[in-house]
Amino acid sequence: MIDPTLVELSRIQFAMTALYHFLFVPLTLGLSFILAIMESAYVITNKQVYKDMVKFWGKLFGINFALGVTTGLTMEFQFGTNWAYYSHYVGDIFGAPLAIEGLMAFFLESTFIGMFFFGWDRLTKVQHLMSTWLVAIGSNFSALWILIANGWMQNPVGSEFNFETMRMEMTSFADLVFNPVAQVKFVHTVSAGYVTGAIFVLAVSSYYLLKKRDIAFARRSFAIAASFGFASVLSVILLGDESGYEIGDVQKTKLAVIEAEWDTAKPPADFTVFGIPNEETMHTDYAIKIPYALGIIATRSLDTPVIGIKDLIAEHEQRIRHGIKANVLLEKLKNGEKTPENIAAFNKVKDDLGYGLLLKRFNNDVSKATEAQIKQAARESLPKVAPVFFSFRIMVASGFLMLLLFALAFWYSNQTKFIEKTWLFKFALYSLPLPWIALESGWIVAEYGRQPWAIGGILPTSLGVSSVNSGDVRNTIIALASFYTGLLIVEMYLMIKFVKQGPSSLHTGNYHFEKLTQGESHV
Amino acid sequence: MWYFTWILGVLLACSFGIINVLWLEYTGALELDESVDADISSKEDK
Amino acid sequence: MFDYETLRMIWWLLIGVLLIGFAVTDGFDMGAGILSLVIGKTDKERRVIINTMAPHWEGNQVWFVTAGGAIFAAWPQVYAVAFSGFYTAMLITLSALFFRPVGFDYRGKIDNPTWRSTWDKLLFVGSVVPPIVFGVAFGNLFLGVPFSFDPLLRAHFEGGFLSLLSPFALLCGVISLLMIVTQGATWLSMKTTDELRAKIVKTGIYTAIVTVILFIVAGFWVAQLNGYVISDIKDLGGASNPLLKSVVLEKGAWLHNYSQYSWMIAMPLIAIVTLLLTAWCLKAGKDGFAFVCSSLATLGIIMTAGCSLFPFIMPSALMPDHSLTIWDATSSYKTLNIMTVVAGFFVPLILLYTAWTYSKMFGRVDNKYVENNSHTLY
Ligand code: HDD
Ligand code: HEM
Ligand code: HEM
Repeated sequence: MIDPTLVELSRIQFAMTALYHFLFVPLTLGLSFILAIMESAYVITNKQVYKDMVKFWGKLFGINFALGVTTGLTMEFQFGTNWAYYSHYVGDIFGAPLAIEGLMAFFLESTFIGMFFFGWDRLTKVQHLMSTWLVAIGSNFSALWILIANGWMQNPVGSEFNFETMRMEMTSFADLVFNPVAQVKFVHTVSAGYVTGAIFVLAVSSYYLLKKRDIAFARRSFAIAASFGFASVLSVILLGDESGYEIGDVQKTKLAVIEAEWDTAKPPADFTVFGIPNEETMHTDYAIKIPYALGIIATRSLDTPVIGIKDLIAEHEQRIRHGIKANVLLEKLKNGEKTPENIAAFNKVKDDLGYGLLLKRFNNDVSKATEAQIKQAARESLPKVAPVFFSFRIMVASGFLMLLLFALAFWYSNQTKFIEKTWLFKFALYSLPLPWIALESGWIVAEYGRQPWAIGGILPTSLGVSSVNSGDVRNTIIALASFYTGLLIVEMYLMIKFVKQGPSSLHTGNYHFEKLTQGESHV
Repeated sequence: MWYFTWILGVLLACSFGIINVLWLEYTGALELDESVDADISSKEDK
Repeated sequence: MFDYETLRMIWWLLIGVLLIGFAVTDGFDMGAGILSLVIGKTDKERRVIINTMAPHWEGNQVWFVTAGGAIFAAWPQVYAVAFSGFYTAMLITLSALFFRPVGFDYRGKIDNPTWRSTWDKLLFVGSVVPPIVFGVAFGNLFLGVPFSFDPLLRAHFEGGFLSLLSPFALLCGVISLLMIVTQGATWLSMKTTDELRAKIVKTGIYTAIVTVILFIVAGFWVAQLNGYVISDIKDLGGASNPLLKSVVLEKGAWLHNYSQYSWMIAMPLIAIVTLLLTAWCLKAGKDGFAFVCSSLATLGIIMTAGCSLFPFIMPSALMPDHSLTIWDATSSYKTLNIMTVVAGFFVPLILLYTAWTYSKMFGRVDNKYVENNSHTLY
């Protein structure tokens, strides 16, 4: 049987490195487009201040980008190091988007980022502008392919189990790419990145505006961030998760968990704004509800029910029983009894093969699982409610706060007396952590919410691990955590240092601190 | 097709950003409260 | 388009191309990163060295990332077994690699001697560890890796990190390291000036010659090793399941391919001849040619390893029958087909725009350039 500590540790390591990677990723996604916008304004107006903006925000971009790349390296190889059986089992499908990401996105992004930083004197203005756009497009393509991979884990379409090779194999590449879950995920996640970039520029510009320095520079940056961010936050909220719900088994379960919908309610269901989910009693205590709202949001209709957790458990129990049959038949096929009847019988139940594998945690021989084990596996076929429930509410609350911020910022950045709105600048400055809080909560909803599956309905997380010993994994967690902490400290130190210096760090002679010293030497 | 929406949406959001700031530049709104470093905002690149 | 068997051959070549792309481009970065600490003595010299690769290292590193992704897509079982089997080695390499992006980007941002010399050391670590580990890993392929499969195709391992460090594997690590240093030296001979260049050229001549000698020694050593031979396999275009064939061990079998496919002899010959030419070109001041020769030598050395092992990718020391070969460790016919189309489109495109950026940044980096751009360069 697979060592449960190993599974726990592997999960912790993955969660840690992924969440960490995603501290830097969204800023890259958003800031790259903001740089492209600024440089376009520079090429159109030919004003020095826009060039300085590209260079200064570009410096901060570079500091962030370095850690994005560093942490991405771990991600690329971690499937092999820590999730070896997973890699074997689904590599035929999952590997393809990862390889395409390298070929289509990373090369583009990384080749032109060199031109972005070092090509100013070697390229024409238009060539340099092109390079900046290509960096932005490259990083967004990278998000596209990795989210196609991740979308497939949530909703595994276009693939089929092959008993000859003991793994999932691709049946349709188009299904993989146009997976509806991947599509909504992509739009929602990259928009979240744009919001992050915009808040970053907005908050740092507000800092200069509060300090009343480099106003021409800060004001223009603020205006660009406000307009781009306003459009993006609308997109996160409106388009984001539109239809992510209705598709696939995992999504159905996740929806029930997000809403702490224990019983299937008479449609249209109520929406629980807040409450304390209780796993023991299967009830949400102190719930505050809005009548009918859930039914309307989740199903876009008044008569489709939102299936509750208790009913899902019953449904999963049924599928686990089918899964046992599938596992028994698979055993026969592997032992050489490849008769047409066996193959036909296997094909009939093979969709539930994964549900049978859920029993492996309790009994290595699935066919000998007891009633109690089947019941327990069914009960644990959903994630715990509370983490998902609260993370989701934190994300949504941050989203609405940011909507308010961007609406105000956009409105006032077009007004006279803008510079006097110190309350707005303070609001923007203190909002700096919001997108990160929302993002990380979002990933917890998405990833924890799909437990116990690594691949929805197909491969339980606990089976995906490598045959390494848990001591080694514990050591790498410690090593990675210390490396990452050290790197984060250095990164924050540089960020803060350059943010404080502001555009004076460019040494063009036009900005606050340089003027001060020039002024002094005149006296 | 959400991918299609994305292409349109990004183009829209970026042009929104560019046009907005050009518009502010054009109407002179950006200069109104500036006394400190007005020279920077009008400086052309060589 | 192609049949399964041909596709499997194509992907053996394509992964080779990606690995060679990695060793040629990221190789000169790593070589230069090593030389920046060993040869560069002042901050100025180190800045010159680092800024010769500043615009390119990032793109170069993607050869490595993409090779990883491509192995995942084309040889999922190899991706799984290699990286979890070499778990500790892999995580050491990754940790060393962490220092490169941050080292390049952060080093020049603060003008403080302690800050800069700390990053210099970390950049050195990030440049020296990966080539050694990759060399050692390749060496272990010739010796067989201690893994086996259960009927569900889950891999199990015996032996830990230290068992990888056998003498033959260490020799391969040294060859790999010297090959990379030579590659870095030829790059720098092309991109630097004056005394700095003279010092580097001297080192490059030396490492090129030692590499040739060790490469030949390794060749004789391989002849003494037990090689793997497939004794029975049903169908080269069959399902990817490594449990369905038989393999026997035979002394010297790693050289069988050279008599069976005589064109393969070209690979070690290329490696030896171009390494000698590299030394000669460096001496004669033909910097561009030296870089080309050294790159070809890299190709020759990697292809020699690949051709000797062919069709094996990862031989198993525990259960030779379970060895991973290009016939039974690939992804499905469909996936290989799709990936061939994708690679056929993108690889030439990548080469095109990469070449464009190199041509734009053409020319030597000297002290004056670094001084004049002190705030924008690394
Ligand atoms: C939504 C976006 C997104 C998500 C979910 C991920 N990444 Fe990422 N990744 C990026 C978006 C991104 C990026 C924006 O493109 C980065 C950040 C900084 C950068 O250089 O590119 C990046 C960098 C980056 C790099 C370095 C590329 C280089 O050398 O240029 C690698 C190898 C990975 N990632 C791999 C992964 C893997 C294996 C992931 C999943 C398990 C993953 N990333 C999740
Ligand atoms: C960068 C953004 C991402 C974040 C922040 C993130 C977050 C997480 C978290 C928090 C977990 C742990 C869940 C748990 O164990 O309870 C997890 C697990 C996992 N995620 Fe993600 N994820 C991200 C992207 C991805 C992507 C893009 C993929 C695949 C392409 C992926 C694949 C996995 C896998 C294989 C696990 C295995 C461990 C498990 O399921 O517990 N993740 N992720
Ligand atoms: C207020 C409206 C919002 C709603 C209704 C919403 C809804 C959701 C839902 C349901 C998920 C889970 C999707 C899944 O598991 O497949 C999710 C994931 C996520 N959310 Fe949000 N969200 C909102 C705002 C935000 C904001 C403001 C951000 C960040 C700035 C954000 C970032 C994320 C991220 C990064 C993920 C994980 C990736 C994914 O699954 O798409 N969300 N969101």
